[in-house]
Amino acid sequence: MNKMGTVVGFTFMNKVRTKSFLITTLVLALLVTIGMHVPYFIDKFTGGDDQPSKIGLVYEGQPELAKSLEAYTEKQQAAGYTLVPYEQADKAVLQAAIDAGDIDGYLQFAEADSGVFPTVTYTSKKDSLGMGLQTALQAALQNVKAEYLTKGMLTDEQIAALSAPVQIDAVKASVESSGSEAGNKTAETGAINYVIVYVLIILFFMTIMMTGNMIAAEVTAEKSSRIMEILITSVSPLAQMFGKILGMFLIGLLQIAIFAGVIAVNISLPYNQPVLADFNLQLSDIRVEVLVLGLVFYVLGYFLYATLFAAIGSLVSRTEELGQAIMPITMLSLAAFYIGIFSLSAPNSVLMKVSSYIPFVSPVSMIVRVGIGEPPVWEIAASLVVLTIAIFLFGWLSAKIYRTGVLLYGKRPSFKELRKAMKAYKI
Amino acid sequence: MANPLVLDKVMKQFGEKTAVNNISFQVEEGEIYGLLGANGAGKTTTMRMVLGLIYPDGGQILYNGNPYGRELQAAMGYLPEERGLYPKVKISDQIIYLARLRGMSSSEADKSLKYWLDRFEVPEYYDKKIEELSKGNQQKMGFIAAVVHKPKLVIMDEAFSGLDPVNVELLKATVKELRDQGTSILFSTHRMEHVEELCRNITILHRGNTVLQGNLREIKKQYPREEVLLHTIGEVTGLEQIAGVEKVERKERGYLVRISQVAAAQEILRKAMEVSEVEHFEIKEPTLNQIFIKEVGESNE
Repeated sequence: MNKMGTVVGFTFMNKVRTKSFLITTLVLALLVTIGMHVPYFIDKFTGGDDQPSKIGLVYEGQPELAKSLEAYTEKQQAAGYTLVPYEQADKAVLQAAIDAGDIDGYLQFAEADSGVFPTVTYTSKKDSLGMGLQTALQAALQNVKAEYLTKGMLTDEQIAALSAPVQIDAVKASVESSGSEAGNKTAETGAINYVIVYVLIILFFMTIMMTGNMIAAEVTAEKSSRIMEILITSVSPLAQMFGKILGMFLIGLLQIAIFAGVIAVNISLPYNQPVLADFNLQLSDIRVEVLVLGLVFYVLGYFLYATLFAAIGSLVSRTEELGQAIMPITMLSLAAFYIGIFSLSAPNSVLMKVSSYIPFVSPVSMIVRVGIGEPPVWEIAASLVVLTIAIFLFGWLSAKIYRTGVLLYGKRPSFKELRKAMKAYKI
Repeated sequence: MANPLVLDKVMKQFGEKTAVNNISFQVEEGEIYGLLGANGAGKTTTMRMVLGLIYPDGGQILYNGNPYGRELQAAMGYLPEERGLYPKVKISDQIIYLARLRGMSSSEADKSLKYWLDRFEVPEYYDKKIEELSKGNQQKMGFIAAVVHKPKLVIMDEAFSGLDPVNVELLKATVKELRDQGTSILFSTHRMEHVEELCRNITILHRGNTVLQGNLREIKKQYPREEVLLHTIGEVTGLEQIAGVEKVERKERGYLVRISQVAAAQEILRKAMEVSEVEHFEIKEPTLNQIFIKEVGESNE
């Protein structure tokens, strides 16, 4: 075990000191920082929202509609825009007004047969309407349209009710708890747990891809540089393999800790706080069991994949062949990733239930289910047991492959050759 | 006391092929034992079995009278044929790491590494990376990696291949030094001249079988002296007519005469002295190379 510590230390120190590690960590930290600031910047640039944009409204052609729109806009408390009426559709005048900054753009109704609502054009310097403006205008125009088509047959309230979107509340039928309680709970789960699940899945995938590749590449490099022969005469292959996996895991943890630190610093920056609050994310909403179970599945899943990566690395003699050799595991982890991501909206589906018991997919599935769904305790326990057994099984198998693989040079051995070699080496 | 290394009828099969067939030999303390053979003769397989990397299918390997165990890892050093170290890791880091894996403390390992770097007169390599060194110097570092933890048994696979003559001498001197300190060395090569200089006992392998084994001097005695080297100022003709002469080869400075009986040598000398002035006359003892070729029956290198 002492030797394993030495291997862990050596693996860790060597990776940390490499330039590539420093650079990737820095670049990723920078990206995270930029990503965290995006909401703030968006807020900053769309800050014009405070002073509503001025929109020219051309009366010519469809004066009724224009009037109706103006009337509707006046009734809104905060429409997000103000209308500047223009009698004539004089392009030159409107253009001049835009250039002078009097208006941001102008709305114009096209000619249309009676009883048909005309198309509306918005002309401005920009290619498109802003998101906020678009929704506001659309709602207003919807209202105008309803009024226009019904020709005063409906009251204002009826029109408002007509144009309001239909709300669908998804409530899960459950035996133990009454409907209202279940509904409360879903709301309680909160956006923050969703975010945590999302982050955990992405972290899981990234760590596996990055450290997994590093593990396989290191093993292959050791093999191709023949230092492996010295190593396996000094340390047992098992200690060596798990030492490497642990060392890499620590690297991954260090990286995650750095990112977590960066995120924490960014969140605590005072000007970022109101923006976060806008997203309705409250740190106090975090459910502890989501975090703990999520981390447990994360760690277990990592070890399962890492042992396989090490085994594959030991089978390949040259680094050039490595990419092809680890393809199957890459596909597997991709599958797990996508099953998780696509099931975020349906955490209690049959697919998720089944994949909770399939070792390579279960870490992601369970993270999703624990975070967003409501799996019974026994299912969590069963999934954990299956995963742990799988780790031991694949760890044992990988150690065997590793022990044999590191002595086989030349072309990548087939399963048959590998079995034969295992027999010959009496492993 | 039992010898540091004893192989007793060791056998290894890879599938249908017998890689090593009933090999037995012993290495004493402070001895360099030569394991010779052409490529594919089973040298590396034998060494891997000694190292505990693979297990023999038959026979046994004993270390100081005991079978292989984990604790031996600290007492053994290995210089693989294609020696390798981490190309991008500082020499001090990786050699201390390897020494620690073999049970040495870091401070001891550091001291030992510095000693060896000084011994090879390259203390400045301490902070260098392997990829920055020439191939010969990389090999020296590989050698240091094999002996840095002061092993009692060192296994060297083709220790001198690819080195220039100066470095070969340097390495030979250190190997002898190790031997004099009581280290047992199992040494494989297909360069016969190194064996003649270093080893007391040898085993020649051919396709997994032992073809010749024993004390080097005694082996040589068994082989008749069959060659006469003659350097003269003038030309000597008619050597072929002497009884017992098989073949005369003209060389740059004289003749190489192959004889079937030792008595013929005297005749050759007499004849040469009659006709010309003799500069050099030698009845050559067979080189290991010749013995090897004779035994193995095919050209080697």
